[in-house]
Amino acid sequence: MRRWAHRTHLAGLFLAAAALACQPTDRATPPPPPPPPTSPGGVAVTDDAGRRVTLSAPARRIVSLSPAVTELLFALGAGDWVVGRTTWCDYPPAARAVPSVGDGLNPNLEAVAARRPDLVILYRSALNETAAQQLARLGIAAAVVRQDRLEDLARAAGLVATLTGRGAAGASLARGIDSLLHAPAPPAPAAARRRVAFVVWDNPPMVIGGGSYLDELATLAGTENMFHDIPAASATVSLETIAARDPDVIAVLADSGAPAVPAWAARREWQVVRAVRERRFAVLGGSLFARPSPRAPQAVAALRRALAATR
Amino acid sequence: MRWLGLGVAAAAAFVLAVVVGPAHVPLANLMTSDIVRSLRLPRAILAFLVGGALALSGASLQALVRNPLADPFLLGLSGGAGLGAVLAIALRIGGPWALPLAAFAGALVAMGLVYRLGLVGGSALDPRVLILAGVAVGAFASAVTTAIVSLSEATQLRNAFLWLWGGLSGASWDTVLVACVYFPLPVLVLLAAARPLDVLALGEEPARHLGADVEPLKRRVYLAASLLTAAAVAVSGVIGFVGLVVPHAMRALWGHQHRPLLPAAFLGGGTLLALSDTVARTFVAPRELPVGIVTALVGVPVFALLLRRWTAS
Amino acid sequence: MDRELILDARDVAYRYPGAVRDALAGVSLALRAGAFHAVLGPNGSGKTTLVRVALGLLSPRAGTAAILGRAAAAWSRRDLARIVGVVAQREENPFPQRVRETVLLGRFAHLSLWAGERPEDHEAVSRALERCDVVPLADRWLWTLSGGEYQRVRLARALAQEPRLLVLDEPTASLDIRHEMELFELVRALADRHGLAVVLITHHVNLAARFADQVLLLAEGRAVARGSPAAVLTAETVRRVFGWPVAIAPFEGAPQMIPLRSGKDGV
Repeated sequence: MRRWAHRTHLAGLFLAAAALACQPTDRATPPPPPPPPTSPGGVAVTDDAGRRVTLSAPARRIVSLSPAVTELLFALGAGDWVVGRTTWCDYPPAARAVPSVGDGLNPNLEAVAARRPDLVILYRSALNETAAQQLARLGIAAAVVRQDRLEDLARAAGLVATLTGRGAAGASLARGIDSLLHAPAPPAPAAARRRVAFVVWDNPPMVIGGGSYLDELATLAGTENMFHDIPAASATVSLETIAARDPDVIAVLADSGAPAVPAWAARREWQVVRAVRERRFAVLGGSLFARPSPRAPQAVAALRRALAATR
Repeated sequence: MRWLGLGVAAAAAFVLAVVVGPAHVPLANLMTSDIVRSLRLPRAILAFLVGGALALSGASLQALVRNPLADPFLLGLSGGAGLGAVLAIALRIGGPWALPLAAFAGALVAMGLVYRLGLVGGSALDPRVLILAGVAVGAFASAVTTAIVSLSEATQLRNAFLWLWGGLSGASWDTVLVACVYFPLPVLVLLAAARPLDVLALGEEPARHLGADVEPLKRRVYLAASLLTAAAVAVSGVIGFVGLVVPHAMRALWGHQHRPLLPAAFLGGGTLLALSDTVARTFVAPRELPVGIVTALVGVPVFALLLRRWTAS
Repeated sequence: MDRELILDARDVAYRYPGAVRDALAGVSLALRAGAFHAVLGPNGSGKTTLVRVALGLLSPRAGTAAILGRAAAAWSRRDLARIVGVVAQREENPFPQRVRETVLLGRFAHLSLWAGERPEDHEAVSRALERCDVVPLADRWLWTLSGGEYQRVRLARALAQEPRLLVLDEPTASLDIRHEMELFELVRALADRHGLAVVLITHHVNLAARFADQVLLLAEGRAVARGSPAAVLTAETVRRVFGWPVAIAPFEGAPQMIPLRSGKDGV
């Protein structure tokens, strides 16, 4: 740790530059249509890393290295074909019966290969793109999907459905998500609960920005994320910024059983924020809010309920 | 003249820290603004105290181990603090003060371990043994910390590392009060050790012949510097660079006599950290940079200037 | 009237931890004000150990060590530093310093914790600089000094302590003739004119013989001979202790040692 602190003053320049240069990836380009299958009965798609994934037949032994993809597979009716999941894949309950291949953050390729899959699906990250290439070298088809926001989910639904031969279910799911995204704006909640800040850590204060799923949910719920202007999914901000922007409610993510008011709300410096002073907290529990999933409509409803419940 | 310059710089840094920030507070409202009174003012004071403590501790440790590359985190304290903090989160110890107290406790354990190792074989806090023990304890603590983080649920612990990177976000009048109660004694002990440290620089035996009680001196300096650093880490995470470079920068202006050097280091460290924190808060507003990065970016050019001046004279 | 007894070590024995044999056994050393004693002996004969025990830095296994009538171990380091000034064999100086600053360090034992240097401290420093003839060097950086100049500065620092006893441990190692002679003459003058007691450890048997009042010859931790240079430094004794044949020739009343050729080269 001391080593890190020291290397900052050499790498600090690079780090700061990198942090400032980090911009969200461009969402505007529409996904390319899947190319025609290469053999009769075979399926092929181009995944979100731009790689062509080809199967001679729809996948029947799938290892999912992403909780969102696991939910998606079960929602598409392909749950029986899931032979491997990560420890985080906790929904639906049936998923827990599937053997786990580790936490999936740094994929354990041996454990994955031991499940003899014909398809592995990973979420998009630099580490996973390397893992996908390694899997391909082992002769295992691997697809990388982006899953930061709801539109990613719509596209992922189509991609996964094609690979598993569940095209109809995929199309219907994608339509459902699209209609949610483009639905007319719901009536705004009571004025006192319109302005929200999602605080995920207290020291240093970290908030959810415009690039994240939660921000999308907030918009769909008719509320305003006070840090929507920050392009990143999450960011460290000064406490005084939170105080100055004066949200009506502070939303926190917590596991079930967490107290209604987080421990840090008692700290003196947080009293400058009006919502903390008045104890206006909305606790968002469980995996419902952690990732884009077919349960998005439920998430939006739950968010509205949680906000309405604040005093 | 030098003292005047340092005083002006310190005052300017303080004023800047209070007046400037990502939240726009018009000058007219400065005194009545809640943000200024409850956030910026205690934060500026804490920046001075922590920066001063780190620089003072660094200068003292450099004299103690007779090595100009020593810094407050050389002796394993940051590793211990990190382990304490991570354990607190992993064990879900609640309470608003859980993290700082756990970090402080971890740092103290590391301090005790290194001290004990420094006495092994009758070496009586031999500087080389201290340094090696500190590196070993720090590395061990880091390894255990990394193991815990990789085996436990990721997100909470990842955020713990953000805290360790250093920042004054936890600053409030409560924290300032604790610091004001805690800091004076170790600071005084170190300032009082200024002349003995001059003598110690000649070597332990010459120092004894000149009248210094070397063993108690080493113990006092080690304990006071470690306690200051442990408190600084508990309050604001690991902020590197200040403890290593500010003493050297001050030596370029005041020479090696510790009687002027130690107070100058305290003021200089406080000024640097206050300035760096202001930049950290405002440079990428509304976002905030980790202050450890800024201390390096701000400190290096200043240090280079002083180095030129010193080598030119 | 007998001059005051400053240092009195009697029959001291000492063994370093983990050592096989005693570094010192049954050695005594006593000095009065104004006396100049030289301690001689081969490498490893216990010279430095004797001084450390006599000054209370080490606790002897047997025997007593007293300074000004009080047990050496009972003195606080600070009080002792006002009585005894030591120029040790080795010294580090990692940080650059000027001559005046380093000599001022000699006042450490006289200064209180928080107060600054007083006029009398600066005067003591000036006197020390004068006596060691380094006044022209006062504002120079230490690293610019020659070996001989640096030794005189270290001596000045010890003098700034205003001690009554001066201990020098091999002060002329690696100095040339001129600087050696200057140092020995300086030390002799300090003993004569200012009543300092002096203990000087050296390999320089000949210079010790010319300048010292008394000589203590050690071998393997034991005192082989003690007394005036003429009495101690006989050809037989020197050959036995140092393991090399010598001839002794007098010069200005002091015995001078001339090492003989071994004869092994056939001459």
